[in-house]
Amino acid sequence: MANLIKKAQARTSIAMLSLWGILFTLFIITGLVDHYFFTISSIGVTLQLAVPLGLLAAGQTICMLTGGIDLSIAMIATGAAFIVSIKSPSGLGWAILYATLYCILIGTINGLAVGLFGMNPLIMTLGMNAVLIGVFTVGITTFLKGSSTMPDIIIKLSSGTIVDPISWPLVLWVVFGGLIIFILSKTGLGRLIYAVGDNATAARLAGVRVWKVQLAAYIICALFSGLAGLMIGGQSGAVAMSLADSLVLPSVAAVVIGGTSIMGGIGSYTGSVMGALILTVLSYLLATLNSTEAVKQMIYGAIVLTLAWTYSKITEKS
Amino acid sequence: MNLIKIKRQSWNIGIVIIALGLGTWQINRLPVFGSYEARTILLGILPIALLSMGQAIIIIGGGINLAIGAESVLINCLAARFMAGKSFGIGVALTIALLLLSTCLGAITGLIISRSKIADIIVTLATSFILIGFAMYIQPSPGGGMNLSLAHLVSGKGTAFLPPLITLILPLLIIWIPLYRSRAGIAMYAIGSNKDSAFLSGVNVDLTRIKLYAVGGLFAGLSGIVLTAITLSGSPFASISNTATLNSVAGAVLGGVALSGGVGGLTGPALAALILYFIPTILLNYGIDPAYSQIITGALTIIVVLIGGLIRNRGKKK
Repeated sequence: MANLIKKAQARTSIAMLSLWGILFTLFIITGLVDHYFFTISSIGVTLQLAVPLGLLAAGQTICMLTGGIDLSIAMIATGAAFIVSIKSPSGLGWAILYATLYCILIGTINGLAVGLFGMNPLIMTLGMNAVLIGVFTVGITTFLKGSSTMPDIIIKLSSGTIVDPISWPLVLWVVFGGLIIFILSKTGLGRLIYAVGDNATAARLAGVRVWKVQLAAYIICALFSGLAGLMIGGQSGAVAMSLADSLVLPSVAAVVIGGTSIMGGIGSYTGSVMGALILTVLSYLLATLNSTEAVKQMIYGAIVLTLAWTYSKITEKS
Repeated sequence: MNLIKIKRQSWNIGIVIIALGLGTWQINRLPVFGSYEARTILLGILPIALLSMGQAIIIIGGGINLAIGAESVLINCLAARFMAGKSFGIGVALTIALLLLSTCLGAITGLIISRSKIADIIVTLATSFILIGFAMYIQPSPGGGMNLSLAHLVSGKGTAFLPPLITLILPLLIIWIPLYRSRAGIAMYAIGSNKDSAFLSGVNVDLTRIKLYAVGGLFAGLSGIVLTAITLSGSPFASISNTATLNSVAGAVLGGVALSGGVGGLTGPALAALILYFIPTILLNYGIDPAYSQIITGALTIIVVLIGGLIRNRGKKK
């Protein structure tokens, strides 16, 4: 047993080391291509841009650790941003409350469907995403009519710098990311999340209410997605339907590159943070190349695939 | 054995009854019903039916392809770009070349999944990005065309409802039935129900998976060609590909294919496309805003998968 744990620890440290290696290499390449990259302010901006992805990846990590996946995060994030921007004239507190309730509602529906009704999480959340796209497409011309700009305080919290390269979103990320790491490693819920993901049947026989753990996972995921939505909305200043679309694949990729198994039970948020940083530097690098959106998308997909592949090969051997 | 056969057919019979019921409802609402209306219905279901069949083959083999919509969109864009203004002969040659290409794309996806041992969800999410990027590169904005006589050969013209019917049934006859009766067909069900025992019984799991993804790609290619013939243009939109992927999964599940793999056939998904076509059409006929169609698609998928799962679970307990 002790031997097994040692082996697992060795594997994790080699994996973390290789993640640092990839991040460092990408960092150097980006710096060589774009000379402005090695300034403190541009590092600050890069870290700032990594925050929404990091928050989405936090939720996704929790879902994947239970053996699920959440592909409705794009519309949860977009929806939360919409609600805050439209309700903020009647008070920011109310706006945030409504957005929180919205996230909890969607998370609960997802969690109950997956946990209690045994829905396939992939289909459930993909379907949910389509439903939400429809609801908001109709909504913005009817019951959600109103301003589409984010309140100033959110813009400040999502893109305001304190001291270069430290910004408000980075502080938020450290706080909420720390919370996730704490939940996963120190609390009972964290243990249960790993237990359910590793073997749901065994967990159920050991007396775990598996559906409650899954419900909690999807609600946490939805809340983090909502927060990420506010960050993205704040960084772009206004909300749009396709606000978080481009971050769905990266959120899954960040978690997978970070070593969390899509089957559940294995992984950590620290890995996902590394994944999010790697992908953010990568998109910075792609943005400096003078190419069309189409080419960027192709390169991005190819690199994500290569990274996931390399990572699985590295961890397989050791 | 006979009992199993009847049980398997009972699902298809159920679908036919529901489809007939919905069909009568819809036809009663039309002022006249002739071969023109029959062709309209066939054209409505054809792309979804072909895509569902492709997805069904992959799901039966225990996988899932989230890039199937992107494969279809890519072939659609390639066809529209290169067939515009060309003669019938070149059009036919290009069709064959594109079908080969989509088969190869599917095979490569299968190869990557087998070699990398990364979960198919992740590989296909990444390849969907690459394929959509490629489609956007080929056809930056909607447009293109197709030789009219070739389009009429595939999708008919005016009241000619036989060509689309043949396009729907021919792949079933010349691809599915030989596959179903071959060793690869048995291997497909074997790896879908239990990969490990299939491997231990001497099935080449990797090769079988590659073949399945190749055939899935072929169906996606067919769907792309049909789409080009119907719309006479190529549309490089990620939203189209996402909706198509979602529909393909819904069609496969509604057609009696279990998401856990190893169960189902292709006749069911082909028939299920009728239901997926009739329900939104009927709802829209009752004066519901077309913007709700996303909600309908998403909700329908969720409900279908939910009910399908519940029925299957009850059957198991008995």
